Amino acid sequence: MLDNLSTSLKDALKKLAGKTVIDRAAVDELVKDLQRALISSDVNVKLVMELSKAIRTRSLDEQLPKGTNVREHVLRIVYQELVRLVWASTDVKLEPQTILMAGLQGSGKTTTTAKLARYFQKKGMKVGVICADTFRPGAYDQISTLCAKISVPCFGNPREKDALKITREGLESQKDLELIIVDTQGRHALEEDLIQEIIELNVLTKATHRWLVIDAALGQQASEQARRFHEAIDIDGVIITKMDGTAKGGGALSAVAETKSGIVFIGSGETIEDLERFNPDGFISRLLGMGDLKALAERAEEAIKAEDVDVNAMMKGKFTLRDMYTQLEALNKMGPLKQIIGMLPMGNMQLPDGVYDVTSTKMVRYRIIMDSMTPGELDDPALISSSRMQRVARGAGATPDEVRELIKYFKMMQRTLKGLRGGGGKFNMQRLMKRFSGMQ
Amino acid sequence: MFGGLKEKLQAARNRLGISIQEVVAKQEPPALETRTAEPGMPQAQQKTLSSAAPTFADKVKVLIIDRELIVSEKDISDALSELEMTLLESDVALLVSDAIITHVRTNLVGKHRKIGESVDALVVGALKRALLDVLGKGFNLTEYIRIHNRPVKILFTGVNGTGKTTTVAKIGAYLKKQGYTVVIGAGDTYRAGAIEQIGVHAERIGIKIIQHQEGADPSAVLFDAVQYAVSHKIDVVLADTAGRFHTKSNLMNQLEKIRRIMKPDLIVYVDEAVAGNDAIVRAAEFDRTVGADVVVLTKADMDSRGGAAISIAHTIGKPLMFLGTGQGYDDIMPFDPVQVVEDLLGSDT
Repeated sequence: MLDNLSTSLKDALKKLAGKTVIDRAAVDELVKDLQRALISSDVNVKLVMELSKAIRTRSLDEQLPKGTNVREHVLRIVYQELVRLVWASTDVKLEPQTILMAGLQGSGKTTTTAKLARYFQKKGMKVGVICADTFRPGAYDQISTLCAKISVPCFGNPREKDALKITREGLESQKDLELIIVDTQGRHALEEDLIQEIIELNVLTKATHRWLVIDAALGQQASEQARRFHEAIDIDGVIITKMDGTAKGGGALSAVAETKSGIVFIGSGETIEDLERFNPDGFISRLLGMGDLKALAERAEEAIKAEDVDVNAMMKGKFTLRDMYTQLEALNKMGPLKQIIGMLPMGNMQLPDGVYDVTSTKMVRYRIIMDSMTPGELDDPALISSSRMQRVARGAGATPDEVRELIKYFKMMQRTLKGLRGGGGKFNMQRLMKRFSGMQ
Repeated sequence: MFGGLKEKLQAARNRLGISIQEVVAKQEPPALETRTAEPGMPQAQQKTLSSAAPTFADKVKVLIIDRELIVSEKDISDALSELEMTLLESDVALLVSDAIITHVRTNLVGKHRKIGESVDALVVGALKRALLDVLGKGFNLTEYIRIHNRPVKILFTGVNGTGKTTTVAKIGAYLKKQGYTVVIGAGDTYRAGAIEQIGVHAERIGIKIIQHQEGADPSAVLFDAVQYAVSHKIDVVLADTAGRFHTKSNLMNQLEKIRRIMKPDLIVYVDEAVAGNDAIVRAAEFDRTVGADVVVLTKADMDSRGGAAISIAHTIGKPLMFLGTGQGYDDIMPFDPVQVVEDLLGSDT
């Protein structure tokens, strides 16, 4: 996901690998690569300059801790400085509160509002939504449709032009609910009347939280926009949306630095479940190409209840079609494969493109085909001869080609996972996580 | 529009001017000595010297014979790195700004400059050439429609939330004002409320809209829109589509299917002017998979810099057609690269 960015960074780090004495030239080179990497992920240029200066000074000045090599030392400093940059993750409490959504046009406020409603609903809260977007046609239809899907009450009136009036009525009608999310119209800092409107909305709702929604692709403008929003309504959290694309979300980092707040959530998909709690450690690790195991584990925990077998199947020794079957089931709940793989600590390892191409519909097909296999075949796919393939295909209502494709896919997965396990023998999730957290 | 970039480029330009002025200052004394000695040498011998690495002797020779100065890389490197920062701060993607800097450098280094020629003009010239080179030519939609067979089918693509639907409405209003008949195909059948959104727009600007219900096959909707245009002799079909990320192969395949079925004459790639480095990644990917003929940049009113225009144009080499500059139907303006560059750098040359 963040490959290009982290490749050059890692090359630079590699140069520091074996060294036990800090090499000024190598550190300089690393800092330069770091700058380029961060700038190309849209982090504010000034911020990058400050950051890289701090890293350079600290790397050269600080004593090398005993038992670490230069690479680890510098990596730790880079990591710490980046974590400092994203500030702390803000606390999301499960108590009665009002949340005011703010952001630029098209940043994904409405979708995120629905996702948030779903998130809090799943945590067992009584949630309501107010649609204060009186400008964009279809805005009320959009949010009310999304809310209806998850049975969350949504207050709004597409014919009313006064956002304040709607909000006032909405607050009244939803006063029995514990958590109210106010979705607002998109606006930018130069539209003074709209900025005035959101100031008034903030006063009216006495919002507990005012969250700024930022598109992961937003560039250098992020700082400036965030600053203006912050001046207007005192932003206390940032949500990054569209992290499922190729954008790196550096703009959100600038926004966070500007508002001295934290990143609360990350939106990474089009369905209503695609919202993750932000985890600064994980985000930075991902930025550095180190994988984000914490988020994966959290997601896995939520998606896979105990009876759905362990996540470790993926990492464990023998990988059979049967494992793939349970995985496809589990993965379906966890979200697209690419997202999951993006979170694994595979660093620079190049995965064959085909691995990602399995869409959810295909996964369903695969499971149907596997349903037609005998237990023996599931345990040892090598058994599947061409006549058996015919039988399986007929049983599943598929063509032999599809069966062949499935087996090809299986082999690819098998190879991939073998590579993932590496030479270390028992390379399981726990160990990976331990390794990862030891790095901080 | 793009005021920020303008300011910064002006500053960089002054800076570049200063460092060339320094070169002049350094080399002026010998010039004064020789000026009287050889007053009227022919100008015909210009640019005969190698521009790669002018030696001191070369410099003096050029100075004396041609009454010109040679700009060396060292003289301008500081100013160029400053210019690079400026571009980066204006959201020009890293790769693109690298390319521009290289371009400006090759344009300036080794150039012979007449003593009388203004330093400013030289720098501005190089910058202008670089930017114009990157931006390419604009695109005249009305002209395009005029010379093509009716109905002209225009497909809008792009990632989520860039403003495709709003742009479709604006272009619809724009064309209607020019006297063309327009039909809109509500091809975003995925996002909740999208059909209602485009429906309201169409009603307000008085354009016929072809729509199916939510979840329908967008190809079918757009096919119907084209059929409607054919049977009603309508000039232009504007096909809205759902936003999609270039990383989702199934959605990109769907777009490919749409293209196959409605056979658009023009594929418009819509992105926002505030996008950062990702702009080049996704533009390249859209261009690669479904193609893109022209580009529309939206939300230019919240952006005072305009780097995305340069990044995208540089990456896929397609002309920019319109800039979206606000929330009203009239807030759209044809993109004129010469005008933009003139705006950025002043029109003194």
